[in-house]
Amino acid sequence: MLLAQSSWGAIQKPTNEVLRIGITQEFENLNPVLMQMMATTIIYKMVNRNLMTMDATPKWIPQLVKSIPSLANKGARIYTENGVKKISANWEILPNAVWGDGTPITGYDVKFAWTVARTPTVSVGEREQYDQIEDIKVDEKNPKKFTFIYKQAKWDFARLGTFYVLPKHLEEEIFNKYSKENEGYAKNSQYTRNPTNPGLYNGPYRVEEIKLGSHLSLIPNEKFYGKKPNIKKIILKLIPNTGTLEANMLSGTIDMVSELGFTFDQALAFDKKIKAEHLPFKINFKEGLTYEHIDLNQENPILKDVRVRKALVYAINRDNLVKALFEGKQKKALHMISPMDPWYTDDPKKITLYPTDKAKAGQLLDEAGWKMGPDGIRVKDGQKLSLPFMTTAGNKTRELVQVYLQKEWKSVGIDIQIKNEPARVFFNETTKKGKYGGMAMYAWISSPENTPRAQLHTANIPNAANGWSGQNYPRWTNPEVDKIIEEIDVTFDPKKRKNLVAKVLKAYTDEVPVIPLYYRAEVSATPVNQSGYQLTGHQFSSSNTIENWNLQ
Amino acid sequence: MTTFIIRRLIQTVITIAMLSFVCFYILSLMPGDPVDILASSNPHITSEDVARLKALYGLDKPAYVRYMNWLKTVITGDLGYSRTYKIPVSELIGPRLANTFFLSLAALGLSILVAIPLGIIAALKQGTKFDYVINLGAFAGISVPSFWLGIVLILAFSVWLGMFPAGGTFTIGAGELSGWEFIKDRMKYMTLPVLSLTALQLGSFVRYARSSMIESMRADYIRTARAKGLSRLTVVLGHGFRNALIPLVTVIAISFSFIFSGAIITETVFAYQGVGKLVYDSVIANDFNVAMIAFMISVAMVLVMNLVADILYGYLDPRISYG
Amino acid sequence: MSFQDTEEKSKSMAQMVWEQFKEHRLALISLFIIGLFIIMALGAPFVTKWTGISPDDQNVFSRYLPLMSKSEVSADDTSNRLAASVNTRLHILGTDELGRDVLIRLVYGARISMGIGLVVALISALVGLLIGSLAGVYGGWIDTVLMRVTDSLLSLPLLPILIVFAAVDLNKLPFFASLVENQSQSIFKLVFILCLFSWMTVARLVRGSILSIKEREFILAARTMGASRAEIIITHMVPNILAPLLVAVTLNVGQSILSEAALSFLGLGIQPPIPSWGNMLFNAQEIITQAPLLAIFPGLLILIVVVCFNFVGDGLQNAVDPKALRR
Repeated sequence: MLLAQSSWGAIQKPTNEVLRIGITQEFENLNPVLMQMMATTIIYKMVNRNLMTMDATPKWIPQLVKSIPSLANKGARIYTENGVKKISANWEILPNAVWGDGTPITGYDVKFAWTVARTPTVSVGEREQYDQIEDIKVDEKNPKKFTFIYKQAKWDFARLGTFYVLPKHLEEEIFNKYSKENEGYAKNSQYTRNPTNPGLYNGPYRVEEIKLGSHLSLIPNEKFYGKKPNIKKIILKLIPNTGTLEANMLSGTIDMVSELGFTFDQALAFDKKIKAEHLPFKINFKEGLTYEHIDLNQENPILKDVRVRKALVYAINRDNLVKALFEGKQKKALHMISPMDPWYTDDPKKITLYPTDKAKAGQLLDEAGWKMGPDGIRVKDGQKLSLPFMTTAGNKTRELVQVYLQKEWKSVGIDIQIKNEPARVFFNETTKKGKYGGMAMYAWISSPENTPRAQLHTANIPNAANGWSGQNYPRWTNPEVDKIIEEIDVTFDPKKRKNLVAKVLKAYTDEVPVIPLYYRAEVSATPVNQSGYQLTGHQFSSSNTIENWNLQ
Repeated sequence: MTTFIIRRLIQTVITIAMLSFVCFYILSLMPGDPVDILASSNPHITSEDVARLKALYGLDKPAYVRYMNWLKTVITGDLGYSRTYKIPVSELIGPRLANTFFLSLAALGLSILVAIPLGIIAALKQGTKFDYVINLGAFAGISVPSFWLGIVLILAFSVWLGMFPAGGTFTIGAGELSGWEFIKDRMKYMTLPVLSLTALQLGSFVRYARSSMIESMRADYIRTARAKGLSRLTVVLGHGFRNALIPLVTVIAISFSFIFSGAIITETVFAYQGVGKLVYDSVIANDFNVAMIAFMISVAMVLVMNLVADILYGYLDPRISYG
Repeated sequence: MSFQDTEEKSKSMAQMVWEQFKEHRLALISLFIIGLFIIMALGAPFVTKWTGISPDDQNVFSRYLPLMSKSEVSADDTSNRLAASVNTRLHILGTDELGRDVLIRLVYGARISMGIGLVVALISALVGLLIGSLAGVYGGWIDTVLMRVTDSLLSLPLLPILIVFAAVDLNKLPFFASLVENQSQSIFKLVFILCLFSWMTVARLVRGSILSIKEREFILAARTMGASRAEIIITHMVPNILAPLLVAVTLNVGQSILSEAALSFLGLGIQPPIPSWGNMLFNAQEIITQAPLLAIFPGLLILIVVVCFNFVGDGLQNAVDPKALRR
């Protein structure tokens, strides 16, 4: 161990010459319209700008545009056409915003991206952001200005978090040539064929080299219109095995680990080690919007009884769980909306709270007819109170939580059978088709003020008729909630909207289709001398402000 | 002999063709396709998105139709297109194959070079301290969990001693290296994975070399040869070793399947850009075209090696007749 | 050659095997160690009874305790009735990520890991022996078909195929679903998958040695002397095949333990909270620089047990080898 100490003491602090970042998930080419992987969206924000983005507060702020249009600032207006309420919104790209080859970014680039994304032969994952727009009119006199016509008047029309821009001057010719072929554009796009072309990027960095499945190196974009970045070179290295991340850091192979890296438990342990041995690293924690929970399958006869569902929540000590397993760095959840979200409420008048109360849990189970048996497991009509509990196999944090909860429930006489499956089976068969029998633990990834339509609306219970889409895996039906969700979409007054959401939360916490556990935190590791770095906890990752990073 | 080889060659080709369908079918049994995987991780994907993408990727058709489509394009020389990386499979798999080949061949060569002499000596000195030590070492090599060994090697050589990088294939951003510098750079990254793979293979090679050597040295004709007064060296190398080679050839031929699948864990632990890791990733992500090509290359490799082993059998042991 | 002769011969053979086996010191020691491990594995419930520590007892407030440390048992913890009176508890090998006692988990892990290793090796040896000898003895089209199937399975890249199979939902098979419906399902699934893909090497080796013995002098001699096929197989081939078979089986025990660990590494192995050495090792690997002992203990046990099995196999090989007997 002496040897170890001496060589760790010699870890070189990185300088502004180069920063090497480890990432554990695969990335694709950086064509924004086509990208689908989490890692790609993080890297993308280093080389490109969005129309708008979200800061760490989190608040929406303009990025590539001068301002975000709203009804209040007269940038947008509602009008009626053929009996349908529509919205027209005016946008203007920053006057000095250019692509990496000096070509100005204009409304034509926006319109081109919109055209590409809506083409049937192009494999865009999420198309709603593009589809909601009926037409784009570019101002011919000043092509920096353009107007969106929205098909419907929804309050969140100006939340264009995943509306990306493409360089028309480089991509249009290719698109016209290959767009008839299935995926022809994707195969021939410059992002695929010639990814180092500076004109493809408009962010603080541009791509110097990209090797899929291995690494990516970035250098400053000379033509970037914003603040010049401090670091001369960024290298992103794929390290698929989280177990070796730390060794890679300690041996100086990488300087930093991105938010797609350490597991939470690993980060906690590494944090302690850093403090104990004065290593030149820092572990960053930031509470996030990701909501870990347990779905209770409403089709299970035992779980149909709301008293059993309530008892399940009363029986567990979630405060102890987050304290012991997460050292309080991940917060206990009350419902699906995180404290970071303006829609959050913990007002006991608005929602039902479930403090740990084993006696009450026992009482509820007694009422439901589940009497304590001689072996410590409750029985009703000769049937044992036994529930299957599933989650994604190999996810250590979840497995930890799982065994912890198993014991908690056992203490009130509920037998839990753990049965985990690989993620692909779990998500594509088990949860989706409602085959999880009893309980399924996983996370919802969300953004602030996101209507929980996909998770709670009856129409989103996956079934053969809707092609197994939607994410209402608990298969919960509440007509009242369905109606409110529809109403939220067209409510433009933020206060009214929040009240509507509170109604949903009330029903949600009353009927307990889901056991809320905790909100996941983001973790990353940075060199101790890195400043200007901030984890965000949401989809607009820390890399969105990479130009502020500084290594002194 | 020639008819035997031709017959086996035809059998091999038929087997490969049949296995390609088996592989395709098994892969299609796995729940979820790339679109499902995408949809389960993104709450904004609507049912329309899912239907549109499935039709676009041709995933809405039954497995045998997809297999025929796949076969048609592959026969024309087009290996298809990676769903994950959105680039042609041939571009993706080429460099990966080369990387794995260097890694596995180096490890295999090193293991054979070390294992055979060690095995022979241990066999000849059966029961001595030397034999015990070799045996212990061989068994330890067989018994080590591969990812554990990888992590321990990283801890020892990268973290504590700082001799080799903890992972990767070559120095990123070093630019175009020429000749010797290039080889040196690659060697630096390959050392730990090669060591780890070698340690894993070495044990079974030593064991087989030793036990088949012991076996063959006991055969009657060895005693005859000795009785005839041939020198010990001639007996050992000319008779004993030649017969010991027969089971060894089988084992080494079989271990060729290691070239692709055996390196998966090692490549993952050392973040080495090989085809093993690609196979694993493509299976997990249901990247059909990549997985199929990788499977087929690996299957063909092994079947051809088995054929080679059988022919060598005949060459080495004339008593086996090819009726 | 009468029946009596054969019987007497086999009796003396078993004795001679034992005599020979005893000469291999390392094998004898290994057999003893394996015996100890098996006793430990079988006796695991008694250990829980005596010490009051069960492998599932958690104490999340005393995670990652070092060796020989004590943890406090909270008074309200009703499920630990036995320990409630004690208040503190000694953890000889420390605690893991949930504050569970590492020693008792290793003891229970022995049951799973060694059990899987033995069962898989035995089943696959039987399957391999059957297929290999059918192919080797009968030859012709039987040989061709069986060996092509064997080659085909052998040629499939093992790990990816195991991954694919682990992903396929075996519950769709009717017999599988009715077989087990509880937590140990993951164990049965693993055994099933591992058996499916581990008999081929045995089959090839068995066939290979049958082919090479078939043409040897003593078989030819027996044939010309008019011995029946069954007689030849029992008296000459079985002892000759046993040697490579035993080597293969012992290697398979270790290989199966290792396969369990490898699949655990990919998150497809034994499901928690059941402890196996493989999943304990996997759980420890992410924090290996902070709590290296958590990874070292299960790794070491795997090493020791597999090494012992191999030595026993080695000793057996020396002992049953008919030419060794003739020495």
